[in-house]
Amino acid sequence: MAKIGVFICHCGENIAAKVDCTKLAAAMGEHPGVAVSVEYKYFCSDPGQESVKKAIRDNNLTGIVIAACSPRMHEATFRKACAEAGLNPYLCEIANIREQCSWVHTDSDMATEKAMDITRSMIEKVKRNNKLQPIEVPVTRRALVIGGGIAGLQAALDIANAGQEVVLVEREPSLGGHMAQLSETFPTLDCSQCIMTPRMVETAQHPNIRLLTYAEVESVDGYIGNFKVRIRMKSRYVDTHKCTGCGDCMTKCPVKKISSEFDCGLGKRTAIYTPFAQSVPNIPIIDTASCIYFKNGKCKMCQKSCQINAIDFEMQDEFIDLEIGAIVVATGFQIQNTAMYGEYGYGKFPDVITGLQFERLATASGPTAGKILRPSDGKEPENVVFIQCAGSRDPSKGVRYCSKICCMYTAKHAMLYAHKAHGGKTNIFYMDIRAAGKGYDEFTRRAIEEDEASYIRGRVSKVWQENGKLMVRGVDTLLGRPVTVAADMVVLATAMVPQPNAKEFAKIIGIAYDEYGFYNEAHLKLRPVESSTAGVFLAGACQSPKDIPDSVAQASASASKVLALFSKEKLEREPVIAINNEATCAGCWGCVLACPYNAIEKKDICDRSGRLIKQVAYVNPGLCQGCGTCVTFCRSNSLDLAGFTEKQIFAEVMGL
Amino acid sequence: MITQEKYRTTVKELLASDSVKMVIGYKPGSTPDRRRPLFIRSSDDADQLVLDSTCITNLSGYLVAEGLLSDEKRVGIFLRPEGIRSINILAAEYQLNMDQIVIFGFDSTGREVRPLEGRHSKDFSALLSDIKENSPQISKEPLLESIERMNEQERFDFWQEEFSRCIKCYACRQACPMCYCRRCIVDSNQPQWVNTSSHTLGNFEWNVVRAFHLSGRCVQCGNCDRACPVNIPLRLINQRMAEMVLEGFDHFAGLSPTQEPVLASFKKDDTETFIL
Repeated sequence: MAKIGVFICHCGENIAAKVDCTKLAAAMGEHPGVAVSVEYKYFCSDPGQESVKKAIRDNNLTGIVIAACSPRMHEATFRKACAEAGLNPYLCEIANIREQCSWVHTDSDMATEKAMDITRSMIEKVKRNNKLQPIEVPVTRRALVIGGGIAGLQAALDIANAGQEVVLVEREPSLGGHMAQLSETFPTLDCSQCIMTPRMVETAQHPNIRLLTYAEVESVDGYIGNFKVRIRMKSRYVDTHKCTGCGDCMTKCPVKKISSEFDCGLGKRTAIYTPFAQSVPNIPIIDTASCIYFKNGKCKMCQKSCQINAIDFEMQDEFIDLEIGAIVVATGFQIQNTAMYGEYGYGKFPDVITGLQFERLATASGPTAGKILRPSDGKEPENVVFIQCAGSRDPSKGVRYCSKICCMYTAKHAMLYAHKAHGGKTNIFYMDIRAAGKGYDEFTRRAIEEDEASYIRGRVSKVWQENGKLMVRGVDTLLGRPVTVAADMVVLATAMVPQPNAKEFAKIIGIAYDEYGFYNEAHLKLRPVESSTAGVFLAGACQSPKDIPDSVAQASASASKVLALFSKEKLEREPVIAINNEATCAGCWGCVLACPYNAIEKKDICDRSGRLIKQVAYVNPGLCQGCGTCVTFCRSNSLDLAGFTEKQIFAEVMGL
Repeated sequence: MITQEKYRTTVKELLASDSVKMVIGYKPGSTPDRRRPLFIRSSDDADQLVLDSTCITNLSGYLVAEGLLSDEKRVGIFLRPEGIRSINILAAEYQLNMDQIVIFGFDSTGREVRPLEGRHSKDFSALLSDIKENSPQISKEPLLESIERMNEQERFDFWQEEFSRCIKCYACRQACPMCYCRRCIVDSNQPQWVNTSSHTLGNFEWNVVRAFHLSGRCVQCGNCDRACPVNIPLRLINQRMAEMVLEGFDHFAGLSPTQEPVLASFKKDDTETFIL
């Protein structure tokens, strides 16, 4: 005989303001099988939980229903309370009368009616709940970090320094990401490469880190603690074991005029190349689209020049299969396509450049050796106009968000320009100056006060060329009048956007993304580094626009989550898995095909003499994720889901 | 007549050489235009074999009778093209091993019966592909067209009226070669998802559940329709379902013994227009 306890929570006024909890408690007390029905202001509080435990013990309850908030909030809390009171935790059900009732209804009577329906439905379900035991699964203590920018490096190093194995996958030929392209970094103006390259080298030499560059994640299967990952090693056409990085091949390569991706088109590279001089690993790749040999079968100059015979034109992509326990996604960002801004003349006027291009000009190792020179004629500009929010905070261009870093780097650009070109003049068109961060506001003030950056609050409507000058037409909203500035160079603070293949990649790993393609965290405030998929964590600008300090902090946070996961021998998983009725299974194997986790196998049923009678489906409890796809497919109704059995669901529906 | 004689001889030969242990065919029924199944185990049995245009029952369901194929011996069977599609589905759903099946294919136009070339399922793949290609051009039954022209309420009323005669005898299920489950969901009463009483809800639940279970599997052999003692036009539901599956997923049931079930497989280029 069922003895169910019903506990109705006011949630302060959240529920009680709309639902008549006293009436609800009285009505539920009348329901068959209910032994206790009480209300309380906050059942999630300590005294609230104690009263639940006491009620379980005093009345020998066989199941409880907590009518309160969403099970996502406190299911774990009350399951724990059940366990402490000696009741199997899976005999606890939550009736959500807050999110699905009191918060969404205005009429008190109707909300109370609905709360009764919801609670009654869960009482009927819990009567049919079974005692379940958690499933234990082993953890593979090896982390996969995807992306070799600053976030990926930080996460990899933190995990590796704690003594765990890491595989770091970078799709470009070298580690470094965007940070390797930068000049000096705000707010301390330390040289980006000077702080970045030691990290890159440390990563490459770390005994716990296996570095896979020029590699991409091909597929991810499995689940937390037990992922199976396939990596495609793209063919470099250079043997990574033999190559010493001497660079002879690059010197000899006859194709020298390819615009360098790393220099944002401002510099040139060869067809066999490393992206930049400090590349890690310092092993070149052949760009088959530009290489003469791959175009018409002749040349092979690089192969001839290589003294150790490391160049192999026949090299093929290879695949590596890895067993992985946790994944850190640090795939970074791209800058928005400037073709969207016809009014600013990018692409039409060579001296209209992006912020990232300005970084390359200002870098000592860049194409101009650190001199700010105009791409058109190589002269030093006397007047530079910076346009902030080029794309960001502009719904008409599809980017409603703030790219977060542009205010700071534009101030930095103005400063660097002032330091490099004495007497040069800067004008910065801005919407707001957002300088929240340690030392950030001081930094922008310094740009204005010491380096005489002139800020004009307003948007730019048009850039055109006149008498060798770039004419920038905008509005000064503080003075309330239009302004036109004649400039030698215009720098666009282009919006940060997700990687172009971010959404497809999210589907490969199985994580959620937002409308733009930035990866979603499990909870913006409370679980900011976990993705929606257990065992997959996020770091850096793949989640949202971030500067270096934020990316590093998030990477370390992800690493600590990974390490916490690896601190256990075994993981406990919810026992919500499918089970098959072998007597009625028709063996059509539709479930085998339908299962997205490959959790269903064929099992032989034999008689005593070992003769095969029939084959039926068998659900591997370690692999099943309890999604229920097989249950819906099974025509003979042989498959059922523990914790959500057909009997339970039917009773729930009938309880309404 | 010639076809029938030819097949009688072939069946006798195969039985004599022990290539098949049994052949499932047709024999005269209770009236001149009815045929009943014949299970030929000997040469004498073969003399009863009849093959004419009235042999319309899809016999493939007999192949999955418990234990028939478990000795791994071969069984012959007379099948029209839709019957061949049925056994393809049964093979795709692992209910039979195609190598055990010897097919005596036939088809008819008017009163004339002609044999189909081939003995193994794969011999008929070109024929089945042709049928798939031509299926959109085949003109629909006037009744189906008139139902499609109805609005939702009229359509509901139509089926409510038709289903009101349903007595839950499950003859449609027993006659259907696809209904091979050891326990049908309708016989599961813990919980009783499908209402068995003969009111509107129960009538719709049973017939709609059956239609869903046949989506992407029905070959429109008409066994259910002919089996129905109260003449519910069940074929129309399944025809409509087959059309939708063909349009939505380019899935033509029973094209090959390795075809994946439409509801358990997915293609990246599915149009997914039905997802809101």
